[in-house]
Amino acid sequence: MGTLGRAFYSVGFWIRETGQALDRLGCRLQGKNSFREQLSRHRTLMNVFDKAPIVDKEAFVAPSASIIGNVQIGRGSSVWYGCVLRGDVNSVTVGSGTNIQDNSLVHVAKSNLSGKVPPTIIGDNVTIGHSAVLHGCTVEDEAFIGMGATVLDGVVVEKHALVAAGALVRQNTRIPSGEIWGGNPAKFLRKLKSTEIDFIPKSAENYSNLAKAHAAENAKPLNAIEFEKVLRKRHAGKDEEYDSMLGIVRETPPELKLANNIEPGK
Amino acid sequence: MATSLARISRRCVTSSVSSNLIRRYFAAEAVAVATTEAPKPKSEVTPSPNRAKWDYRGQRQIIPLGQWLPKVAVDAYVAPNVVLAGQVTVWDGSSVWNGAVLRGDLNKITLGFCSNVQERCVVHAAWSSPTGLPAETLIDRYVTVGAYSLLRSCTIEPECIIGQHSILMEGSLVETRSILEAGSVVPPGRRIPSGELWGGNPARFIRTLTNEETLEIPKLAVAINHLSGDYFSEFLPYSTVYLEVEKFKKSLGIAV
Repeated sequence: MGTLGRAFYSVGFWIRETGQALDRLGCRLQGKNSFREQLSRHRTLMNVFDKAPIVDKEAFVAPSASIIGNVQIGRGSSVWYGCVLRGDVNSVTVGSGTNIQDNSLVHVAKSNLSGKVPPTIIGDNVTIGHSAVLHGCTVEDEAFIGMGATVLDGVVVEKHALVAAGALVRQNTRIPSGEIWGGNPAKFLRKLKSTEIDFIPKSAENYSNLAKAHAAENAKPLNAIEFEKVLRKRHAGKDEEYDSMLGIVRETPPELKLANNIEPGK
Repeated sequence: MATSLARISRRCVTSSVSSNLIRRYFAAEAVAVATTEAPKPKSEVTPSPNRAKWDYRGQRQIIPLGQWLPKVAVDAYVAPNVVLAGQVTVWDGSSVWNGAVLRGDLNKITLGFCSNVQERCVVHAAWSSPTGLPAETLIDRYVTVGAYSLLRSCTIEPECIIGQHSILMEGSLVETRSILEAGSVVPPGRRIPSGELWGGNPARFIRTLTNEETLEIPKLAVAINHLSGDYFSEFLPYSTVYLEVEKFKKSLGIAV
């Protein structure tokens, strides 16, 4: 059986070599239009000369995010897929337990019309929705910036304030505590109910837990990914509801279990 | 000339706030002045020495979470910088363009037949919807979701066009054959009736669509489907980047 295994191994190698040779031949046929894949040059944490980002070890930074320059991210915070935090001309400070959701942009101004150059400071337990654009503003603890909002220079979003989705908050506006502002340009809409105020830190906490699951998944090496692929395939036909109807209790492999605290209902 | 000026001014700015302590003092003072509360000391950030600044693998396109694995149909085009995470199903003929993020970690996301999610969209599903209905995001067949849109726990019925940079919040329902103008913000729970054109922030009724316009909607989706076919044929079924990885590891002396 040793020689048979070895025979298969060599034949496999021949086929792979042939395939690679054919690939090179195909590239030559394509000539100047051929595309040779390169390693990803995307730098998640990038320093601009001596300004390097400082990211806490318990923060989740998605690989496709870009954290550039003078950025500080506190513990338990999460920066989701596709975000760009550019602290190149000034500093960006993100507190702990904050989540900056997908495709957002946090930037700082070096100069603006009024002459003041505020750094961007984002407090603790803040939720910044998807595709938000924050430019040179201060967001205090437990504020909520809705998705797609644009918050411009010098804005101060006070504690427990909510910026509605799609809002455009113009320069130097102050959004007082406990109020919802929205629209373009942002105006006062209504006051936050106390249930909504309690919800804001809860949502930040939910996101922290979700971030841990994503962090674990994104950090997996190739062996773990391939192993779980096989596990998932084997486990795909097993439906929990059908099993419980039959009275079978099946144990899902621990690698395929998600943490219990991800879904807020649990 | 301009760049050297910029560099000098940057150095002046950084030198004046170079030390961490001074920065923290300023921030604390600003907070104190603004809210007349005692400034809280900012907690220390402990960076990990193991954090990778650069991962040669880049961002994985398909991110399974637990048992959920995003499913992409064989002829669907999903651009390489898209992130599909959790319970996402991309059905036949559909396309997801560059930079989009489809995060089905709290609930399901379905992209129907011949639909397309254009560049830089974010499609997410909340855990629960204010309407009480299941909060999954369902994008039905022949739907065109314009670039930079944000979809959260909404249902889009067949043959719709969602304009660019629009925001659809939790529980909203866009009925069949309607068009949302670019930049529209649909508040939570809003229903856009069938065959109408809505737009604005918040979305308001503009006019009903003529029959010819409704016939054009699936044609747009099919046209984008044809376009995505060109993009799809540009990519080999398996990437050849493993050759680069082997070269790279050999150059660093790491065992392959």
